[in-house]
Amino acid sequence: MNGSQTNTAQGTAAGTSPKVAAKQCFLAADRFIKDARYREARLEIEKARRLDPANTYIPAFLDRIAYFEQQQKKERGNVSGKETPALHPSPQPAPSSAAGIQQKIPAAPKPAPVHSEEHPQAPHIAIPKPAPAPVHFSPASQPPVVGTRTEIPPIAPAFVPEEQMEHGAKSAMDVNLQEMKRQIQMLTHALEQEKKAREEMTSQHVHVATTQLRTALEQSWVNGAPNEQETIRLHELAVSLAIPDEAEQTILREVKLKMYSTAVKEVLSKRRLLRSSSSTMEWLRKVYQISMSEYLEYETKFLLDLIADQYKGTVLYVAPTNGSNDDLTRRLKTAGFAVVRAASPEEALGKIEKIYPNLILCQMEFAPGSLSGIKFLHLIRSTNKYTFLPFILICTTAEAGSLQSSELRPHEGFIQSPVDFDELIIVLNEKLLQLRDQISSLS
Amino acid sequence: MKKILLVEDDEDNRDLVSFVLQRSNLSVELVIAENGKEAVQKAVDDRPNLILMDMQMPVMDGWTAVPILKGDDRTKAIPIIAFTSQAKLEDKARTIEIGCVEHYAKPMDPEELLTLIRKYVHE
Repeated sequence: MNGSQTNTAQGTAAGTSPKVAAKQCFLAADRFIKDARYREARLEIEKARRLDPANTYIPAFLDRIAYFEQQQKKERGNVSGKETPALHPSPQPAPSSAAGIQQKIPAAPKPAPVHSEEHPQAPHIAIPKPAPAPVHFSPASQPPVVGTRTEIPPIAPAFVPEEQMEHGAKSAMDVNLQEMKRQIQMLTHALEQEKKAREEMTSQHVHVATTQLRTALEQSWVNGAPNEQETIRLHELAVSLAIPDEAEQTILREVKLKMYSTAVKEVLSKRRLLRSSSSTMEWLRKVYQISMSEYLEYETKFLLDLIADQYKGTVLYVAPTNGSNDDLTRRLKTAGFAVVRAASPEEALGKIEKIYPNLILCQMEFAPGSLSGIKFLHLIRSTNKYTFLPFILICTTAEAGSLQSSELRPHEGFIQSPVDFDELIIVLNEKLLQLRDQISSLS
Repeated sequence: MKKILLVEDDEDNRDLVSFVLQRSNLSVELVIAENGKEAVQKAVDDRPNLILMDMQMPVMDGWTAVPILKGDDRTKAIPIIAFTSQAKLEDKARTIEIGCVEHYAKPMDPEELLTLIRKYVHE
């Protein structure tokens, strides 16, 4: 660079105001500093002093020049100790811009004001400033607020002074890597928190939406399936709440089964007023559009509400061995009864002495040569010690007609086939209650 | 909306009829009377489209109330279904004789009862 022609402020100072001329001197001095021509730089500052003695940049520039001179001397000393000293201090590596100086020098001896707004007359001088501190992303202690976006700063390498790099480049790199690693971990943590918050938000939204739909469905289904118009309205509500079809169907199914279950319980509590529990149940299934598969699937759930999970008594179940009778046995056991099976009245007579049942449940018809259910009932009645033993006959509709007109005793009863299990449980409970009362009154 | 007057002294029976009607898809209003005397007054006041009348009740039974209703110009056109646990044939004939259009024997069957009600309450 041809500094003697381009750097000097001489000539430009003449004919202008002292302050402007001094500014030109500062600019020239700055260029000389960049070129490591400190003596010329000092001369420019001296010129500026003569033009504008009170300018606050004069001491700052002089300090700066002194600092660079000192640095230059140190570098020369180091180099001479290791290699052949360079003829010229360091014109080549000298930065060509203020930013270069800023990068090379960590701190200015005395920082001077640089804002031209505050000092309009001051030249634009690159004052050495500390390098920017590394940006550390500190995740918020609180999880990200729902609905706002978490600001994620860019990953910034840790600042390592050049000097440190020269003397311990490897360790500086390690520090850098460690810092970056730490920041990545923090970012990962922050992202996880944001993801969690979003999941919570989604979950909360789904919960609110499904609750809203469920409430609407319950209101509409309380007295059975709603009409077409109401069904459409409910579907539109589900759509507006962004509830998928599959979820809507699941909720609908749960609601209608719940409503049906409530209705069943209400009806069963008034069973004595109904002609037939099974036909009433069938009517309710139509009212609530419960398919047989749904009924069977949820039957156990309904029954759990109806029965207590405890020992209810021992039932001697007299019926031929087949699939449906086995199923009834299983369900009676689930309902809390101990069940002893007998395939015929004759077999039952053999077992009754051993097990002391609380109740006999017996079919009407058996294989030829065997006692009928009615004859077995009369046989039991005629035995003194079983006089009060509850006896339930399982009969067909036609047989039920004749039984109604016959004289069944209070602790005896019948239930029509196919057996409605809910009704059977109620009948069994009633008869056992009567037995309990009978025994209590005897004592 | 059509009105049905249920005359019944047993609360459980009233609840059950109400339960069945609520689940019937019939758009009807259920008016309750607990005895025949109350029924006569409510029939005049509410002008129901159908009366379900229990025959055995305190204060005034159905056997007394039905002739009164049938003798009053304001209520004689209202169909009355005898809703009773008396299931003998002579009871049935007697209820028709005093002016009931049907005789329905308790205990009830929901579907059967609704079919009967629909016959007289056309929406």
